[in-house]
Amino acid sequence: MSNFEQWGTLAIFVIVGCLLYAVIMTVNRIMRPSVPSPQKLTTYECGVEALGVGWAQTNIRYYIFAFLFVIFDVEAIFLFPWAVIIGDLDATTRISPVFALVAMFLFIGTLLEGLAYAWKKGVLTWD
Amino acid sequence: MAIGYYFIVSALLFSIGLIGVLLRRNAIVLFMCIELMLNSVNLTLAAAARMWGGPDGQVFVFFVIVVAAAEAVVGLALIVNLYFRRGTLDVDVPQLLRW
Amino acid sequence: MQIDFIAILPEIILTVTALLVLAADLALRGDAKQFVNPLAGLGTVAAIIATVALWGSERVTFGTMYVVDDFAVLFKLLFLGTLLAILAISWRYIAEHRFFQGEYYFLLLTSFIGMLLMPSSRDLIMLFIALETVSVPAFVMVGMRKRDLYSSESALKFFLLGVLAAALMLFGMSMVYGFAGTTDLVGIAAAISGETASVPLLLGSVMLVLVGFGFKISAVPFHFWAPDTYSGAPMPVAAMLAVASKAAGFAGLVVVAFIAFEPVADVWGPMLGVLAVLTMTVGNLIALQQRDLIRLLAYSSVAQAGYILIPFGLARTGPGAAVVNAAAIEAVVFYLIAYAVMNVGAFAVAIAVERRTGLRSIADYAGLSGRSPLLAMGMTVFLLSLGGAPLTVGLWAKFAILEAIAVDITLFGIVLAGFLVVNSVIAFFYYLKVVRTVWMDEAPAGLPQLQPGFNLSAVVVVLMVGTLVLGVLPGLVTDFSSVISIVAAG
Repeated sequence: MSNFEQWGTLAIFVIVGCLLYAVIMTVNRIMRPSVPSPQKLTTYECGVEALGVGWAQTNIRYYIFAFLFVIFDVEAIFLFPWAVIIGDLDATTRISPVFALVAMFLFIGTLLEGLAYAWKKGVLTWD
Repeated sequence: MAIGYYFIVSALLFSIGLIGVLLRRNAIVLFMCIELMLNSVNLTLAAAARMWGGPDGQVFVFFVIVVAAAEAVVGLALIVNLYFRRGTLDVDVPQLLRW
Repeated sequence: MQIDFIAILPEIILTVTALLVLAADLALRGDAKQFVNPLAGLGTVAAIIATVALWGSERVTFGTMYVVDDFAVLFKLLFLGTLLAILAISWRYIAEHRFFQGEYYFLLLTSFIGMLLMPSSRDLIMLFIALETVSVPAFVMVGMRKRDLYSSESALKFFLLGVLAAALMLFGMSMVYGFAGTTDLVGIAAAISGETASVPLLLGSVMLVLVGFGFKISAVPFHFWAPDTYSGAPMPVAAMLAVASKAAGFAGLVVVAFIAFEPVADVWGPMLGVLAVLTMTVGNLIALQQRDLIRLLAYSSVAQAGYILIPFGLARTGPGAAVVNAAAIEAVVFYLIAYAVMNVGAFAVAIAVERRTGLRSIADYAGLSGRSPLLAMGMTVFLLSLGGAPLTVGLWAKFAILEAIAVDITLFGIVLAGFLVVNSVIAFFYYLKVVRTVWMDEAPAGLPQLQPGFNLSAVVVVLMVGTLVLGVLPGLVTDFSSVISIVAAG
């Protein structure tokens, strides 16, 4: 199928779609009864009226969780390249697998101390 | 696709961020503009790494992302703290902070 | 990859110490928390020993990213010595002001780890990480007095400007990488010198990279943060920002300018020279009008950054450049060492006075000679040295810059020397004003005698003796700083 035929199919599809929409809406408009009333213009015709403004404030306590998440999430970036190459390491490579393992656990251990710090400071508990 | 387009886009992003920093007055928006600048740097680095075919640029991107996250956390904490003290984030309002 | 662990031993020791400090802070309670300070001090001493052992060796590790040569060792010793002094002057101050003690020392040590990395970095990535490791803890430390509006605002200002400068610098670095195809500083120099015609885009990127360091050293278009941040931050933090963080900025500037961008030194040399003139003139003129001692010291440190920038203005490229550049680096290093000695001392005295009385305007120093002769003597010596009086190390520091100018006299060099001399004279006005207040004015009635603790007194005495001894025998330092010129060849 040539390039033109592909685009042609798409064009036909779009045209037919538009026509179908126009036909249905026109038929609808012709056939439906028209009885306007103010109730029909409210936001929730059969629900509770909304109160207050659209802004909802999130409890500020969430922000520390968000921070912790961001930090640990982003630190994971260093795990991926490590995870990709750790399987290929053996005694013949320049880096021994043990070295790579120890290095990564030192890194994670440093992060864990940060987590322990946050825990001890009571950041992780609610209230 | 010519690699030049990436540099143009990243230069545009950087300029948008820089103009935002110069014009806006809300501390959080300022900070978002700076983040935009950092991300334009990432785009440049990734494009250049692709162009040269070396790993340097990609490694650089990793570190930029991590540092940007650390800065975001520190900065937002400072901003939240200041908001508690003062109730506004407009950097023109404070008299102590002569911009 | 073979990692040379001996070469990075000082950094490892400091990192382990920082982690231990954080753990100790979690384990200790109440008043016992202040004993994380001697723990940090022990780690620093160990790191100093490990650094001294590296003197004279030339170690390269992490590929070619990390080089430990005499230049790096000298800078590391400067940083670690400053750290030791700052630890000593913070102990009482931090313990009494109910700061978050463990966090403070942890952040302080972390920031200094970044500084240790700086003079050894030979790669853009490494430089960037080092710079950010210095900056990010500093942002937090400035805002340490959480309840204080002034501290919070100055921290936010410092943060926003700092991150903006980092973003500009990063954009410059990314363009340089796009141009050179490597982040290795030597490789960048090779790529730049391989170019026959000048590339405007490249020169712009070089300028952007220099902006990032210009912020750290508070050179003039980027100095706005310095006075507000210094006066809003806890005072030991202000001392750290004024001395160590500035020295780290200069270390990075030397490395990136004289190694990577050496082939375009003809462009950035005169530019930094003009910045130097602006920086010292603006800093001095504003300092003249200050009433608050910390703000005065802040503007004086801006002016001092201007003096230290002068040797950068002499940099050039091409045949015969190596001698000039080597002399310039030597002058920078010597001035930084002298500056650290005298400026930490001045801050130590200011801390001792403020700690008892909470006062910090210059008028509050009236009659200090009667209330504490030691502090008054110290303040006099440090301020005179900052001004560059004879018999102090400050004179020799300025002399070192003139010496660097004299290596190859140019018209621009003579202009720079002229500005240096004129500015030194201006600076004496405000330094002497403080000295006069200390000795001549009557103390307001009812102020108590000052009794600085042992640590503070020791720091003041040691630094005072250092200022005077180096003022008589500058060779004690120049013998070392003159052998580090190899970095220019790099």
